[in-house]
Amino acid sequence: MAASPSSLKARKAIPWVTTAARLILGGVLIAAGALKIGNPSDSVVAVKAYQLLPDSIAVTVGHILPILEIVVGVLLVVGLLTRVAAAIAGLLMLAFVVGIAWAWARGLRIDCGCFGGGGQLGAGQEPAYLLDILRDFGLVLLGAWTIRFPPGRLALDGALGLGATEHDEGEDQR
Amino acid sequence: MSKGGRADTASKGRREKIKQQQAAARAQEKRRKMVTYVTAGAVAVAAVGLGWWYSASTTRSEEAAGALAPITVQPDGSVVMAKSGVTRPVIDIYEDFQCPACKEAERVSGQTFKNLAAEGKAKVVYHPITIFSQEPTRSNSLRAGAAARCVADGRQWMAFHDLLFDNQPAETVQGFKVDELARWGKEAGVTAPDFQQCVTSQKHVQTQLSYSTKIMSEQKLTHTPTVKLNGTEMDNQVIFSPSELRDAVTEAAK
Repeated sequence: MAASPSSLKARKAIPWVTTAARLILGGVLIAAGALKIGNPSDSVVAVKAYQLLPDSIAVTVGHILPILEIVVGVLLVVGLLTRVAAAIAGLLMLAFVVGIAWAWARGLRIDCGCFGGGGQLGAGQEPAYLLDILRDFGLVLLGAWTIRFPPGRLALDGALGLGATEHDEGEDQR
Repeated sequence: MSKGGRADTASKGRREKIKQQQAAARAQEKRRKMVTYVTAGAVAVAAVGLGWWYSASTTRSEEAAGALAPITVQPDGSVVMAKSGVTRPVIDIYEDFQCPACKEAERVSGQTFKNLAAEGKAKVVYHPITIFSQEPTRSNSLRAGAAARCVADGRQWMAFHDLLFDNQPAETVQGFKVDELARWGKEAGVTAPDFQQCVTSQKHVQTQLSYSTKIMSEQKLTHTPTVKLNGTEMDNQVIFSPSELRDAVTEAAK
């Protein structure tokens, strides 16, 4: 290989960056799902608070979201079906960014409901839309990185030989 | 054909065979990966489906079992729903017509409260209060609460109560307008001749406000819905799960 030592080093670092991205994204999803899953009604109310979806769909989303977050989070942490999981996680985060931006633009005063909570703000509490959006957008980027460079080190996909697709075959193999 | 040519063909055949074997091994490996991939995917999808089903089943509402228990509107504006002679356990429901979580509690568990009262398993007391301090939610809630105070008949009150939650406005807009409230009253079967005038003049707003203040400090309410069973606040997890709610009440009746 005619690569210079520094680019070789970068090439070696890429799978580890993917591992870090997977752990952060997966960890956040697991935490978010776990805090919501005990009380699906809170989750339903939080989704409704965005006034973005019709009520019947909001109920379904409220019920499915916590478990979906946990399952996708676990897949990312163990590195199984990495690419698909990262794509779903990225799309989820993108949807959250859109939802929060919508709430902000419409002047709603709500809690994002990201980590549990019923979407309602108590008296004197102020929404932190910008912070929520920046955090979720950062997570979108981690998802995008993981889609581009799957599955990273310490991944079940790697161990099972599922990780590499045709064009990066060899590159990502241990 | 020359000897060399024949040897050439033989080695070509061998190479061909090796190639075929390699291709077969590759195909097998590909199949194995495919099976692993699909299995993992199926397990993940099943896990999401199962979690969804479980989550939905814990909040499945009860069906209406039959006629409602007798309902009486008290002088202070609270409303008692109980079979005659049933005095305990007491379920106190503190709710705000404008609060989305109260709407959700009514959607999920409203029928269970009604059924428990109808079965003589509990005395249910509704306390409609105004908990909001910001506009437009505060005024919305006050208008609705004051309008409910214009209904004297218990059965009509319950129908009106249900309609108010069904038609709850968003928290960012002015809603529960007086003409809407008057219309929903008619829909709920309110026939009292002074009802329309009572709603439009908003004559009970002050009463609704002082009642709310009094109840909130007496009961130390920090949020709605608050549901108390024999004076002890129940967890949201119980309030929002009809089956757990029924179990808790049945247990308290023993």
